[in-house]
Amino acid sequence: MTSGLLTRWLLKGEWHSHRLQSVVAVLAIMFGVALGFTIHLINSAAVTEFSAATRSLSGTSDLTVRALRPTFDEALYPRLARHEGIAQASPLLEITAGVPAKAKTMHNPVLKILGLDIFRAASITPDLLGISTEDNPMDALADDAVFLSPAAMQWLAVKQGDSITVSAGTKQITLRVAGGLARAHPGQRIAVMDIGAAQWRFDQIGQLSRIELKLQPGVNHRAFRKVLEEELGRAYLLTESQDDDARAHNMSRAYRVNLNILALVALFTGAFLIFSGQVLSTIRRRSQLALLRVLGMTRRQLLCQLLLESGLLGVAGSLSGLALGYLLATIALHHLGADLGAGFFPGLEPSLHLEPAAAVFYFVLGTGVTMLGSLLPAWEAAHAHPAPALKSGSEYTVLAALHAPRLAVICLLTGIVFAGLPPVYDLPVFGYLATVLLLIGSIVALPYLCGLSFSALLRRLNPGKANVLYALAVTRLSNASGLAAIALGGILVSFSLMVAMAIMVTSFRVSVDNWLAQVLPADLYLHPTIHQDMRGLTTDEQQMLASLPDVARIDFIRSIPITLDPTRPDVTLLARPVDRDNPGSVIPLIESALPSDSIPSDTVPIWVSEAMVDLYGFEVGKQVMLPIADPSQLFIVAGVWRDYGRMFGAIQMQLSDYRRLTGDDHISDAALWVTTEATTGAVISALQALPFSNPLEIMETGRVRAVALRQFDRSFAVTYLLELVAIGVGLMGVAASFSAQTLTRIREFGILRHIGLGKRQIHRMLTLEGGLLAGFGVITGFILGTGISLILIFIVNPQSFHWTMQLHLPWGWLILMALAVLGAATLTAFIASRRAASGNVIRAVREDW
Amino acid sequence: MNPIPVLELSNISKSYADRRVLSGLSYSLAAGEYVAIMGDSGVGKSTLLNLIAGLDNPDNGEIRIDGKSLPADDEAATLLRRKYLGFIFQAFHVLPHLTLLQNVSLPLLLNHLPLERASTMLATVGLRGREQDFPYQLSGGELQRVAVARALVHRPRLILADEPTGNLDQETAREILRLIRAEIKANGASAIIVTHSHTAAETADSILMLGKHGLTPVSPEDQA
Amino acid sequence: MRYLWVLFSWLILLQPLLLAAPPVLTSVIPGKVLKFPDDHGAHPDFRIEWWYVTGWLTTSAGDPLGFQITFFRLATQADEDNPSNFAPHQLIIAHAALSDPKVGKLLHDQRIVRAGFDLAYAKTGNADVKLDDWFFTRAADGHYHTRIETENFTLNFTLTPTQPLMLQGDNGFSRKGPQAAQASYYYSEPHLQVSGTINHLEKNIPVTGTAWLDREWSSEYLATDAAGWDWASANLDDGSALMAFQIRGKDGSKVWAYATLRDPSGQTRSFTPDQVSFTPIRTWRSSHTQAVYPVATRIRTGETEWQITPLMDDQELDSRSSTRAVYWEGAVTFRRDGESVGKGYMELTGYVQPLTM
Repeated sequence: MTSGLLTRWLLKGEWHSHRLQSVVAVLAIMFGVALGFTIHLINSAAVTEFSAATRSLSGTSDLTVRALRPTFDEALYPRLARHEGIAQASPLLEITAGVPAKAKTMHNPVLKILGLDIFRAASITPDLLGISTEDNPMDALADDAVFLSPAAMQWLAVKQGDSITVSAGTKQITLRVAGGLARAHPGQRIAVMDIGAAQWRFDQIGQLSRIELKLQPGVNHRAFRKVLEEELGRAYLLTESQDDDARAHNMSRAYRVNLNILALVALFTGAFLIFSGQVLSTIRRRSQLALLRVLGMTRRQLLCQLLLESGLLGVAGSLSGLALGYLLATIALHHLGADLGAGFFPGLEPSLHLEPAAAVFYFVLGTGVTMLGSLLPAWEAAHAHPAPALKSGSEYTVLAALHAPRLAVICLLTGIVFAGLPPVYDLPVFGYLATVLLLIGSIVALPYLCGLSFSALLRRLNPGKANVLYALAVTRLSNASGLAAIALGGILVSFSLMVAMAIMVTSFRVSVDNWLAQVLPADLYLHPTIHQDMRGLTTDEQQMLASLPDVARIDFIRSIPITLDPTRPDVTLLARPVDRDNPGSVIPLIESALPSDSIPSDTVPIWVSEAMVDLYGFEVGKQVMLPIADPSQLFIVAGVWRDYGRMFGAIQMQLSDYRRLTGDDHISDAALWVTTEATTGAVISALQALPFSNPLEIMETGRVRAVALRQFDRSFAVTYLLELVAIGVGLMGVAASFSAQTLTRIREFGILRHIGLGKRQIHRMLTLEGGLLAGFGVITGFILGTGISLILIFIVNPQSFHWTMQLHLPWGWLILMALAVLGAATLTAFIASRRAASGNVIRAVREDW
Repeated sequence: MNPIPVLELSNISKSYADRRVLSGLSYSLAAGEYVAIMGDSGVGKSTLLNLIAGLDNPDNGEIRIDGKSLPADDEAATLLRRKYLGFIFQAFHVLPHLTLLQNVSLPLLLNHLPLERASTMLATVGLRGREQDFPYQLSGGELQRVAVARALVHRPRLILADEPTGNLDQETAREILRLIRAEIKANGASAIIVTHSHTAAETADSILMLGKHGLTPVSPEDQA
Repeated sequence: MRYLWVLFSWLILLQPLLLAAPPVLTSVIPGKVLKFPDDHGAHPDFRIEWWYVTGWLTTSAGDPLGFQITFFRLATQADEDNPSNFAPHQLIIAHAALSDPKVGKLLHDQRIVRAGFDLAYAKTGNADVKLDDWFFTRAADGHYHTRIETENFTLNFTLTPTQPLMLQGDNGFSRKGPQAAQASYYYSEPHLQVSGTINHLEKNIPVTGTAWLDREWSSEYLATDAAGWDWASANLDDGSALMAFQIRGKDGSKVWAYATLRDPSGQTRSFTPDQVSFTPIRTWRSSHTQAVYPVATRIRTGETEWQITPLMDDQELDSRSSTRAVYWEGAVTFRRDGESVGKGYMELTGYVQPLTM
């Protein structure tokens, strides 16, 4: 009890004397924990929601049969229905319909309509049955009736009895809202109608999207799946509900892991602030801690006391971080959606669940990181010899304990080696480790670098001519580089991360912009209300487009999602006119493509995005089966192109090949070149005069680019936010280190005053010192940040997003940031030095405090 | 009188690097005895105090406090130090963020003794009513009074004072020395005061000179 | 469940008729001569049609059982223009039930699907109805074959005709109400000899017995004031065949009634509505639906009185999950003057709630 009282007294004393330092440390930990927790909460809400929503679409099905293509021939249905071992087969047609009424206010307004056979679905997906009114029980079979989930009704602002207009390609279909669903997943926007009606109304006669199977009791699922897989061949995929979970995880994994790493960086920064704070604090209290040891505090008691000090900061930071994280997650979910603006999970409204296990994890992480940060200085303080420590001037021995040149070299070298290692499970684990190691290595090496640089500066100083304050400042920075480096660490960490992020985002954005110019060569683009529309434009409509006056050239593009691996998100197949001899004219190839004469005549050339190489091993020259056609056709990878639009992979092929193989002559998009004599506006007017123009989105290339860049900025929204947080944390760290350091040097100032330096001169000297130090930090931070950005651009991005980019340095922005940090640091030094130069320094000399 | 000496040094040697500071030093301090140790700078006065306090270990020899051998283990030495010893420093070493009462209570807390004694002790050293003041509100002499109170509050067997008046003016120094002596005697403690000041040394029962050949008694008359 | 017709009439009637190509249905007119084997087959131009077999079985151990196997074909109002193979032009519905006094309650199963993909159909030309693995077919020689496998029991029978077809009403034109349009084409095939096996209580049991086939098709719907219907048929021990039904009004009164009795020589006597009456002797309350059924009934046809007693009380079939109907359909014994004269089936519908939902 009595020792508890002692602990409390000491904690209170420390807290009273170093509020700012403590608050900054708490804030840093809070941001790190909050960020990690937010990302975890949002993602787990989104993935849970996505899995639950997907699973609710399969009900109690044992096995789902789908094709690589979005739809397949319904002839498979009776075959499976009669198949031995199958108790029930429920055919479904999933229509991705556009909602033209929503096209103005949102991008790609999709309504998923499930066409199902109520009699077959009743036992497998009972939740998806439409609830007819008592008056119209046959609505479930009606060809004009649709049943909407509550979320869909809310989204479309309709109720039973109203009608909705949806689009399939250029066709508009009006459906009567006949009722709700038996039990829709909360927040899921889906519609259900009769399968016969759906095939007819949406021009999908003879097509199914999937067949849900219920196996007969006693049938071994795994064995059956294997048998059926062999029987159906490669054109079909068999999936179970766990595949959907994997798919959901894969969809957001790279994005999620990257954000989590950023959270860890924030935590790392926090831990570093705690570390530097504790080092300064133990230096400042050196004789006090020694006194406690002399009075009879054991090493262990002192160590516990010091760890408790930072531990409490960690607890406070972690707890407030959890609260802030929950708040941020709520706000982000509301404003940015479940994918934080990245667009992976449309049509879902996940709700947050407070997860105790995750909360405990992030709490322990935050507190643990804090304790870890304070372990070294606390250990050093507890094991210092009390007798010499009671004497003044022993501060510098503390810093000797922190000198670890070998550690710095090891960290830097390992970091460089790690940067060259391949990804682990599709994740750039080593890339991130390399970043962290470079950071640690640089921090550890800082005292040397600082000492080296300033002694070089000192040697070039002409003692006779130089300003005495400048000489004093440089001398101190040169000789007491260890102490200076502690303040510098904060600047280095935050500024280098800022630089790295700024370079990475700029390089990415410039690359995307250049890429857009390359992939959007035409003047006008048009597509139906939604992308990858299943129906698209018919041949007649294509004919009408092609015969418009003033159109110099028109390219038709068919875009469909195909599933190559059920546990991975869909790959996009793009069929468009491609010149085999010069594919680079329409495809942004990144390396030389296979010459057309080395494409064997029995294979069909495809050009794949970088992601296909990483995810599916589609190297140039490789012959692959893409069972999009029956009988299966052999394809050859003829080139690799850069794609920032579809991180899960995309394949391009010639439209003529696609049509020949699939018989599908509809198209999803068209690119138009306007003749030199005509204006774009005239062509747009001509397009708008077409009979099927109503649900068409006609976009000028400039607008497409603007929309794409807006999308880009949206998905980096969180990154920008993080950058701001990093700047804030870094500057607060600078402020805290400077004021704390100034306080430890109070005796030094006292002596200077005795020697005859005026208050103002000390003030100026300190400001100068702060500026010099910050300048050094900014330069080192810039070098380190550039190094980290290289890792991010050339290792982390290709490994996690499967795309490469070119390096672009945002000089203006970097200089601005450097000046801002320099200014902030100098200002901090200026403010802190006011206290240092105040009257009681004179007394400080005499009282030895 | 207690037949067991409060402090017994037998054949103590201590070297730092190549420099031999103490060699074969033996000494015994009787209970209730108050001695001053004088000597030239660098002769090993502080080393001797550190060794007695258990803050440093001798290369050879044994140190016994109240008949108990001073252990080499830091933890055990700390426990012994906290109970049997009291310290007064030249630089006062009063914790700046604790009140005077809290500062004086520190040894009581560490030894799990009742805290009431702290305010009594403060009153005894002449700081009645200043319990809640912070060290920055005090003069040097007052700070040393606090240190004296802290050194004696847990009734240690032995007080070690290292230049207790080094930072004080003459008048205050005299006052503090009087107080130290009075309180040591009142508490029945033994004390060793290391000092350069003859004035300070004269307040002790006897004066020892630390030299190359160990501790040699000096009569007050010789000094004068 | 012949009353299904009443049930579906409202479904179809209230369908919005805004279709590009609404299906055109044929009406039932008097004087049409039924042609066989064509009329054994389906009549897709009529709204509803059924193949309805009920009968008594004796197991190899000598225990009595009752069974019912019914296939319905129902034409919907689905647009004729819809080219989809899934377009629900025709629905196939089947009910099967087994009455075993040892079990004490009716074992039954029902299915409903849309016709198509050769998975479910009702073919024309001869009786050939299929719903997944359930089927009812008639061979060229007049034998019927049916197989029904449910979770609880399997019925696998061959039905052999022993008597000529029995055309109900006026040569197969059967009035169902006071208005002339309320009619159906209706014939029966009594005294069908049953042989086959049932799988019941996890045993394959050879059985023999006598069954009654009812065939009826129509496009009309019944009087809207009808609340339910009672129907009974019997294969009498002397080789006679008896069929009687009445349609009840909402107030319990008799809206329409009819009966036929054919003696072994083939002489048929029909009874007009006023000559036919159903009078309850004993009622049974269902613990499943709380409906009260007159499970023991006295039927008067002209001057003859038949006392009808059930094989067991609980022969209620709850098909609310498929056709939304609950009815009592059970094996019964016919007595005349207290003496057993034959075995048959009785159907009681409209006792749970008025079916004019």
